[in-house]
Amino acid sequence: MSGPVNPTPTARGNAAEVLRIAGSMTVACAIGAVVLGGVYVGTERYATAARATREREAVTQLLSLNAGSSVREISQYLDRAHSQVIYRQAGENGAAATRLVYAFDGTLVTRATVPVANEEPRAFEAMGRIFVATRDGRPGGFVVEGQSRGYKNVIRFFVALDSSFSIAGVRVVEHEEDPGLGAETATPWFQGQFIGRSPEQAAALDVTRDPMPEDWRGALAKLERRSLAEWRQEHAALIARESGNPIHAVTGATISSRALTDGVRTTVDHFRRRWALIAPQLGGPS
Amino acid sequence: MTLVPIPGRAPSARFLILNGIFQENPVFRLALSLCPAVAVTTTVINGLILGVAVLAVQVLSSCTVALTHRWIHPKVRIPIFTIIIAVWVSAIDMTLAAFLPSLYAQVGLYVKLIVAFAIIISRLEVFASRNPLVPAFWDGLGMGLGFLIALVVIGAFRELLGNGSIAGFALVPFKPLLFFALPAGGFFAIALLMAFFNLVERKFTGKSAAGVQTGGSHAA
Repeated sequence: MSGPVNPTPTARGNAAEVLRIAGSMTVACAIGAVVLGGVYVGTERYATAARATREREAVTQLLSLNAGSSVREISQYLDRAHSQVIYRQAGENGAAATRLVYAFDGTLVTRATVPVANEEPRAFEAMGRIFVATRDGRPGGFVVEGQSRGYKNVIRFFVALDSSFSIAGVRVVEHEEDPGLGAETATPWFQGQFIGRSPEQAAALDVTRDPMPEDWRGALAKLERRSLAEWRQEHAALIARESGNPIHAVTGATISSRALTDGVRTTVDHFRRRWALIAPQLGGPS
Repeated sequence: MTLVPIPGRAPSARFLILNGIFQENPVFRLALSLCPAVAVTTTVINGLILGVAVLAVQVLSSCTVALTHRWIHPKVRIPIFTIIIAVWVSAIDMTLAAFLPSLYAQVGLYVKLIVAFAIIISRLEVFASRNPLVPAFWDGLGMGLGFLIALVVIGAFRELLGNGSIAGFALVPFKPLLFFALPAGGFFAIALLMAFFNLVERKFTGKSAAGVQTGGSHAA
């Protein structure tokens, strides 16, 4: 910028004006920042608690858990160099955590007991969690967290598996798909299509754009108003008939439907291979 | 035709509310915020939820601007209005996430969009920054209600034709005209409803609405 060599009174006035404008904006931004910071500090604790509650509820509902059940949580991480996978199982009631480190070829590198406060470095990439349920002392199934690239942003979901690795339910927990279109994949009727598929059927999951049979559509529509166990009992024949068929895509949202379906398939596949490795190391019913 | 404040005499609350719903309805008259209106009105419930959120942000922002406009430098009023709207939207977003998580699970997608709504900033510029607190509050309420009603009507129209249901209850077991649930169909739905709105107004007032079309140049 080339300004005059000797500032004229107008130029000085302009400078003062610019300063006032900058001051006005700075003050407005500072006030906004303070207000938002205050709201964040005031609500963060409740927001985290609310998220944890919703996730616990989802796990409980998906596996039909009761009061006599307990859930262990295993977090999976990828190290900074992307050469090792770390599994970390929180101890019960604040006890020390178990930490397993595996190389990519599946060999166990270290197994250690670490204090709970000793967290994984932030640079480690979180790869979703595994919830292992125990019901009345026996295996109660698993909930595996997975994610998939949707039409707009990442779709994060839970896949529940019973102890024989059949799908017990699917629940989208976070997504930004279009309301009325891709967001329909997060509804009970769409997610209900996954229920009851055996490990072999889950490995072959695919999507079709063919219209859904009327009786199956009617059954899925009732899922919202029933408990999962009741619904499965009521429609056992239909579920058995449909579990070999592809997932019926949401009309107008084939990409979102495929994203969730592919995500469920790969999540189940990865989980089964990882669980075969880590289960003997973690103890408890497997 | 923007509402010109009458010096010395503030417009009545009733006038301001009816103005927001009819004469200057944000969607059917001012044609503002059409993109978000199209994006979310695939069902009645979506329209209702977004309408309520916009109503809250509009009233809060209008009141904030009415109270602080004498300290806002006129050359940077638009960025400062944007900051005020963004602060309210973020505050509402965080509060909903913390205290009403089940509601937030449904509306979280939409709430963040409100920052970019032309209707809110245009009311701050046209009305709230030139009027005292009380009329600014009623204007914000009227505009918010106008937007809410428009979204619910568009949502009902599109859900009925696109999905064959109203508020999630299926009326017919098939999708009569899926086109209306898709984004392009949303613009046609708004155009049809706008034409209907004009027709009704002409019937009642005998006036053509052609002369009062303003604000169509605002994109968002």
